[in-house]
Amino acid sequence: MEKPLELSRYCVPFTPFKRTLADALVCLVSTAGVRAKSDTPFDKEGDNSFRRIDGSLSAAELAVDDSHYDHACIDEDVNCVFPVDRLRALAREGRIGGVSAENFSMGFSQALRELRETTVPQLARAVSGARPDAVLLTGG
Amino acid sequence: MVTVQRAIEMLGIPTVLITVEPEESAQARPPRALCPRGFVPGHSLGRANDEAVQKKIIMDALDLLLADPKPGEVVVRDYT
Repeated sequence: MEKPLELSRYCVPFTPFKRTLADALVCLVSTAGVRAKSDTPFDKEGDNSFRRIDGSLSAAELAVDDSHYDHACIDEDVNCVFPVDRLRALAREGRIGGVSAENFSMGFSQALRELRETTVPQLARAVSGARPDAVLLTGG
Repeated sequence: MVTVQRAIEMLGIPTVLITVEPEESAQARPPRALCPRGFVPGHSLGRANDEAVQKKIIMDALDLLLADPKPGEVVVRDYT
């Protein structure tokens, strides 16, 4: 049997957004190595796991494990890369419907094949399980 | 990052990326992406405690969910 077709990198997946932002539950997903301070740290040299981050935690309750970009801003304010306090403020102002009960972050990794075949599909399914209406992604 | 974005979008959830590496992101063909011009890793949403700019960037990114689709493109805007 032939292998199932894979999406060409020239093809762009696209899901239409059918709601208003004021009704939308937004989930934050990052590759910046963000986690709850109480959670297990990422290995800064390479880590193919991801962390679930309780949506009720404030930026001050989060830590960032990374040694590949400038941390001057993040050490003062995690919202620079993971703007969870700002999303919550926008929800209070009624500009978005709410913040997902869980947000997510991956760490730094160069094991690209494992990322593509294992971590990314697991993370995407976990995000889907949180049933957000839209996902906002940030890098470092 | 775009690999994650594309995977989530393929599961039927609309996504938008805030990137500070627009060339790299565009090559990977994101469903929707916003780049604050001149911002660097570690400062994707600008300066520490600059709540106004951080919220503006988030809303501009989320507004791309409602805009005419430009799949694969990175929208670059100025925030300074």
